[in-house]
Amino acid sequence: MIIGTDSGLAGLVEPCRLNRRIYTDPAIFELEMERIWGRAWIFIGHESQVPQPGDYFTTNINHRIPVVMVRDRDGSVRVLHNRCAHKGAKVVDKRCGNARAFRCCYHGWTYATDGTLLKIPNEKGYDGTGMNPKDPQWNLQPVAQYAAYRGFVFATLDPRAPDLVTWLGGAAACFDNLCERAPEGEVEVAGGVLRYDHACNWKLFLENLNDTHHPQTTHQSVVDAAMDYLGTLPPEATKERAEAEMIPPFGGSYENFEKSGITGFRYGHHYDGGKTSIHANYSVNPVYRDAMVAAYGEARTQEILSFNTHNTCYYPSLTIKTAVQNIRVVRPLAVNRCVIETWSFRLKGAPPEMLQRTLLYSRLINSVGSMVGPDDLESYMRIQAGLEGTGSEWVEMYREFGRDRDEGDRTVGTGTSDLDMRTQYRAWRHYMLGEVA
Amino acid sequence: MHTGDALLKECEALLYAEADCLDRADLDSWMALYTPDGTYWMPAAPDQEDPLNHISHFYDDRVMMEIRRRNFVHPRAPSKDHAVRCSHLIGNIQLAATDTNAGICTVRSNFHAMLFYRDEKRIYGGRYEHRLQHTEAGLRILHKRVDLIDCDAAHKSLVIYL
Repeated sequence: MIIGTDSGLAGLVEPCRLNRRIYTDPAIFELEMERIWGRAWIFIGHESQVPQPGDYFTTNINHRIPVVMVRDRDGSVRVLHNRCAHKGAKVVDKRCGNARAFRCCYHGWTYATDGTLLKIPNEKGYDGTGMNPKDPQWNLQPVAQYAAYRGFVFATLDPRAPDLVTWLGGAAACFDNLCERAPEGEVEVAGGVLRYDHACNWKLFLENLNDTHHPQTTHQSVVDAAMDYLGTLPPEATKERAEAEMIPPFGGSYENFEKSGITGFRYGHHYDGGKTSIHANYSVNPVYRDAMVAAYGEARTQEILSFNTHNTCYYPSLTIKTAVQNIRVVRPLAVNRCVIETWSFRLKGAPPEMLQRTLLYSRLINSVGSMVGPDDLESYMRIQAGLEGTGSEWVEMYREFGRDRDEGDRTVGTGTSDLDMRTQYRAWRHYMLGEVA
Repeated sequence: MHTGDALLKECEALLYAEADCLDRADLDSWMALYTPDGTYWMPAAPDQEDPLNHISHFYDDRVMMEIRRRNFVHPRAPSKDHAVRCSHLIGNIQLAATDTNAGICTVRSNFHAMLFYRDEKRIYGGRYEHRLQHTEAGLRILHKRVDLIDCDAAHKSLVIYL
């Protein structure tokens, strides 16, 4: 089938059915990289990763395009294409570090941290050739747009994309909540990163985040194993174990998940939870609570801590857990492969136990050695394999269709609704076909 | 507690016994080689100093080992539907420190582990550090640290201890 035409593409995503080829066809993947990942705001990193002038962090904006996030001498954080203007080499190859200037390893072209070309060795060879080294075309090029919201740095290759705040819309409230959970109102990256190789299409990871109908099946084994063992211990022995709070909610009933609710926004953003989520019954560290009350007062503290989301997805590259303070970053590589990074955050002004709890969660649920993530990935890999089958062209997302409520800037449904799926595919059609976001 | 070569021999025997349990994917016998307060740690960064304030791939104490060995044989753990077969080689075993009063010694070694899982052969390699405790039943593992040479790379699911 030819997908070179938009009418061919439009037929692949129906209101409640998805053609298998959006997960398996390399040509569609390339189009997604161009139209979704080339038009949306993509999460690059957090300002706290580059605290000092010259600090940098490198990543790719889609499966190919290398960029560098750098703190300039003027204190601002910039996102530049990581490509030498001379022969095209990646100028910065280390994942992170500090540089007074960026020097290309090939012919020594050297750039300031704002991207300006500073020096070409043996420059006289260009005299009188018509090549003007002061022309900005010979600088490291800035990405079309970049901006930060509460320290979270995004960039887009599309100069016509709406500004970041407009694009985030009501979903920005989850960034606010994450930061407000810090007594000092700010978070910072801490405790390193996990990088998890996923042999599946990038969308399968995103679609699982607020799929509240899978934990009861996929994660039954770890819930059974935990309950079986923890049940043999006296209650006082499990009281101090955060694992005893973190694992069992994965076995929550469908009714419980329904109560959590799902909220969808424009551009594919959505979250599960709000009043309640699988994180809602975690105990609150008393030292942390005191610090929060000292900073915000009792009523506001209560308000902040009771806004309890499970996962918030900023489509297509970032998902955050406000209540746990970790995030996962999607880095697509090929139609059947992506890397999922897990970063953890310190709440400024909170006791060290809070970061330790975040890291425990990341390790317990998101690491390659965990007993949760590998069972999710196993499901994605089986979907990836199954969708090669030709017995049917379709998968479905009908659950609770027609029962989602329109509330102005957002759509709200029960926690087990496929509203999260439909929200993502509305955005997919927006980016891929130019439809209304 | 032995000293010198006799102690080294005893340490080697324990390391081989532990590797044998993992090769057979027998987590029940494996756990029995650890002291009740024993821990297993696989850092996610080179020279990682701390399992609590930095992320790790694994950091299990007895409670997590108990949960993990139950999960490992659960009939409805999708990632465990595929059996995992392992072959460990341990070499360059050296006694790094001995505290005869406390009955504790530290042993460092290199390891290569070949895994077969989901129709795919994988190679893991790196360094082990074992802190061993002398007990009435012989040496037991107080702490094992596994430093993969590619600990900070993107990894696939790892459904068993290395």
